[in-house]
Amino acid sequence: MKNAQVLFLTAILLLSGMLPAVSAFTTPDSIVAAGNVYVANTTYDPGTFFTGDSGTVTVLVTNGNANQSTVVNHATIGDKDIRLMSHPYDTSANIGPLQTRPFTFSIETDAPEGTYYPTFSLSFRDADSLYYRAPVKVDNTPLELSTIEKPDTFAQGQKKTLDVRIANPRESDVRNVVLEVSGDGITAAPARTFVGDLAAGASVPVNFTITPDQPTTAHLTVDYNNGDNLHSVAMDLPVSFGIDKTQANPVMSNVQVTSTAGIYHVTGDVNNAGLQTAYTVMVTSLSPAVPQDPYKTYVVGALKSDDFGSFEVTFSASNAAVVPIQLSFKDADGNIYTAVQDVKISATGQNAATTTNGSSTMLPVIVAVVLVVVFVAGWALYLRRKK
Amino acid sequence: MKMDNSFLKVLVNPSGFFQDAITKNENLKIPALIVLISAVVGAAAAYFIVTPTVTLMSGMLSGMGPVIVLAAVAAAFVITLISWLLYAGIFYLVSILFHGKGSFNRTLEMIGYGFLPQIFGGLISLVVAMHYIPQVIVQAIPSGTQDSQVILDATTSLMHDPAMMALTQTITLISIVFLLWSANIWIFGIQYSRHLAVRDAALSVGLPVILYIIYSIYKLGAL
Repeated sequence: MKNAQVLFLTAILLLSGMLPAVSAFTTPDSIVAAGNVYVANTTYDPGTFFTGDSGTVTVLVTNGNANQSTVVNHATIGDKDIRLMSHPYDTSANIGPLQTRPFTFSIETDAPEGTYYPTFSLSFRDADSLYYRAPVKVDNTPLELSTIEKPDTFAQGQKKTLDVRIANPRESDVRNVVLEVSGDGITAAPARTFVGDLAAGASVPVNFTITPDQPTTAHLTVDYNNGDNLHSVAMDLPVSFGIDKTQANPVMSNVQVTSTAGIYHVTGDVNNAGLQTAYTVMVTSLSPAVPQDPYKTYVVGALKSDDFGSFEVTFSASNAAVVPIQLSFKDADGNIYTAVQDVKISATGQNAATTTNGSSTMLPVIVAVVLVVVFVAGWALYLRRKK
Repeated sequence: MKMDNSFLKVLVNPSGFFQDAITKNENLKIPALIVLISAVVGAAAAYFIVTPTVTLMSGMLSGMGPVIVLAAVAAAFVITLISWLLYAGIFYLVSILFHGKGSFNRTLEMIGYGFLPQIFGGLISLVVAMHYIPQVIVQAIPSGTQDSQVILDATTSLMHDPAMMALTQTITLISIVFLLWSANIWIFGIQYSRHLAVRDAALSVGLPVILYIIYSIYKLGAL
């Protein structure tokens, strides 16, 4: 029995003596060395999470020892709010002297808004573990979509430009921002606008046009990625028909009509009594007038608010006392507006000539008749005396 | 060579003039000369009167201006010559109703003398035309115009130009005055050439002339 006890103790001693040959012991040196290993940086992608988002966190661990490697057995991160989705570092790994090694984990969170502190733990082979709290925010603030400029009213088939602004009030960047415009009876151009990345606190203006066929509602949707998570924000814009109070309003004035060789010349001024610029203002005559050279159509050009320009149109017209003169212009979106103003031409035309000359024609007729009467009477008197 | 100015007596005393002329042989030279001068004066007046029309057509009938002027001048000249024959023929035919006797040549001779006032009338018309024509505002019909309505309107507009209308009215009145003067001469001419009573001669000449003047007055009023 004594021999057995001696053999057992001898074996224990032998095994104990052999241990340093296969693994290091936790020594004061190894503990000091582990103390020089630290977390250099922590990066979350996305920078801030929405509730329900998934993403990654990358922890950079640096071995601050100049001539001693560190062996780690296991690395992990997470808590009950920030859940770890993968376990890529359950095996041992070596961090060389003065080297930095990234540890990247997939995580997700269903936590409500707030700041969370998941714990990163790193267990050393020759020392205790390293613990580090890496704070991360869960923020459900969406992107802001605001209207900068939109017309007061729309009109059927007329294109109007809208200016909106997409802003990112979050603390981190978002990617792949796309604005989509849709609605029943709406033709939007462009229907989708790719904005791209939008930095934290930044904003970007977006212009698009709407051509409605009916009063309706335009749906504006901004899709964006927070990390790899798709989010969207929407806004509705009412599209109602009516008269734009600020639109350009060219008005003809100082209209004068002259007639030469059967061609009527109508001259006048066009004043823009509206608040917006009237582009490509043109004046021409309509049926029953037949436009004639040299001014079949007169292009006045662009007229700013309160500005005016002169015009001259030439046309022929038979048996017409009034001729409609059409004034057309475009707005900034290229929509064509027309206005028609009747112009009396009889005052100077052939009809007027007949009227005007009616009185003056009577005088020579009377004179001629008197001459004939005098001649006949004179001869009658002469013949009577002759008898 | 002494110019025989005795025919000027026809202006103030046509009866006495034709009383002498009927005793002489038929001689168409002086009447023809009178008509010829009248035709030349008429052609000169036509030259001025047609100017606005040439301007009107200048765009549409480019290069045709001289042709139009020539045609108008020639037409005015020929029409005067034809009117001599026409007046004589009409008076001759009407006088047949009153049993007029006498050759057509004699009638032609007497009617030719009656064209003497037409020369004065033509000269006055020429002066009037030279006064009014520059005042007529006329714009050429654009080249390439195919619309007949446009051309018609342009022509109508020209005719209703104030200066053109004044010219037309004045010339019409002048022609009526001098036609009545000529008619006065023609009555005596027909009386002697066709051996008619004064009353019958007055009717032979007066009826056609009055009808023509009434037509002229109608046109004047229809302007």
